[in-house]
Amino acid sequence: MIQSQIALIRRELWEHRAIYVTPLVIALLVSLMSVTGEVAVSGFDHAVDIGILGATNLGENERSAAITVLMISLSSTFMFAMWILTVFYALDALYAERKDRSILFWRSIPLTDFETVFSKLLTALLVIPLITFAVIALTHLVVLLITSVWLGARGANAWHLIWTAAPFIDNWTATLVFLLALQLWLSPFVAWFLFVSAFTKRSPLLIASLPIAILPMLERIIFETSVFAEAFFVRSVKMPLFRGLDNLELLFQEGEHFKMAGDESLSLLSVLDLGRFIGSPGLWLGLVVCGLFTTAAIYVRRYRDDS
Amino acid sequence: MTSLVSARNVCKFYGDVRAVDDVSFDIEKGKITGLIGPNGAGKTTLLKAVLGLTDCQGSLSVLGLDPFRQRKELMQNICFIADVAVLPRWIRVTQLLDFIEAVHPHFSRSHAEELLAKTKIKSNSKVRELSKGMVTQFHLCIITAIDAKLLVLDEPTLGLDIIFRKEFYSNLLNDYFNGERTILITTHQVEEIENLLTDVMFINEGKIVLDASMEDLPERYVELLASGENAESARRLNPIYEREVFGKKVLMFEGISRDRLQGMGEVRTPGVADLFVAKVKGAAA
Repeated sequence: MIQSQIALIRRELWEHRAIYVTPLVIALLVSLMSVTGEVAVSGFDHAVDIGILGATNLGENERSAAITVLMISLSSTFMFAMWILTVFYALDALYAERKDRSILFWRSIPLTDFETVFSKLLTALLVIPLITFAVIALTHLVVLLITSVWLGARGANAWHLIWTAAPFIDNWTATLVFLLALQLWLSPFVAWFLFVSAFTKRSPLLIASLPIAILPMLERIIFETSVFAEAFFVRSVKMPLFRGLDNLELLFQEGEHFKMAGDESLSLLSVLDLGRFIGSPGLWLGLVVCGLFTTAAIYVRRYRDDS
Repeated sequence: MTSLVSARNVCKFYGDVRAVDDVSFDIEKGKITGLIGPNGAGKTTLLKAVLGLTDCQGSLSVLGLDPFRQRKELMQNICFIADVAVLPRWIRVTQLLDFIEAVHPHFSRSHAEELLAKTKIKSNSKVRELSKGMVTQFHLCIITAIDAKLLVLDEPTLGLDIIFRKEFYSNLLNDYFNGERTILITTHQVEEIENLLTDVMFINEGKIVLDASMEDLPERYVELLASGENAESARRLNPIYEREVFGKKVLMFEGISRDRLQGMGEVRTPGVADLFVAKVKGAAA
């Protein structure tokens, strides 16, 4: 089972090269932007030197917090891209093999429909975030390295400013947890997209989006309730992973949650509340829905007969 | 003899359409059986049932397994080529070999590479870069390298030119078939496989209209080329089919001794294609 899953996941990466090409292209662009940004900023000689001097005199916690903010801002583009990738991957996963008729070949291999569909779910929920995370970490290192060279060229001590202060383990662990939790939280959508890709004859994006757009409207008009709207839109962005607040609130915070005393450290990991996330009924309800749609996708692949 | 495939009263319905209608047959080990039928006769549906790709009614056992419910186990000992376009176009030759090596317990990569070395297929090519004929060659290399008990071919040479078709069947006999393996094949180009077959089944409108060994055909069926009064006398012996060739009548008989036809004209064994037409058109008449 494990060997066949590894082979199936490798197969997914061969077919869907965007899974690793997209984050790598973003990484390249972000790294180039950091070079051009630093070159552009260098024009403001005096202000830059004052800025570097000010940063040098900051305490370690503040330098660490500043680097954390830089790392988060670098990660955010990848996170956005990861979710778009996940949507398009899941919509294509069981559709492409029917479109090019290779499904008959894949079904001639001694693998069950469960193993095949499960490998696709695993790719969406685990492999995509792991690859995204690896490229994020790589980008962090590259951008900080570029910045170090730039600082070094201006006579500043990059080792002191960046490398002794950057909380890599803390930030990276928090990023990885966030990426994996996000995929789990949104897993009902992933499984719905897989299910659509298993049955639709054309336009999987349209067919998958229509119920998400129309059901809340119909519900509002007919029953004047908003269960679907809550499930589709509000719930999807309100992931209870953070201590005391969800990610939607986190996005719209005015900053009071993050006001720091001068010597207080900012730990991303400490902002996360895994216990709250794992104990959340919303997560488990979502996983049940994910399981139902995945089962439906397996059933459709197994019983569908195009002859 | 051991039956690899045993079907009893197998039926498959699509709504009101009976794609396969109460079909019973056996395929024994070491045989090359041709399943021949017109378009829409139910060939592909029957093959899909044998391969466990579709559920059916009745009793169907393949290698002692229920094909639909035990498809994974079955696929370890069955290979099939559905038609020329089914290999994924995005994959590289070497990637496909890697994949099958990882998931198929009976695949010999070294054997596949030996067979590929005899072709013009490059290992780093993508399937989309190969011609139709090369894709089929590649597919045949893969299945030849799998130590399977049953090979199912559904129109394997559709769309190929005559050279690739001849080469395909030649490789099939030389590289794949070893007397221990069993082949079930459907094709429209009956003449091309006639000499390979040990057994033949005709299917029409979902029913098996002929199930015979090729060795038995000359005893069961005979064709008479006659004209004038001879044709008229022969017609009284109830031919199953009659056609005209260059002004002469060709009458086909079932279960009639050749001696009874001697003296009426040229007596010969019908070709499989003519027999097929006779069985299908004769039934419709």
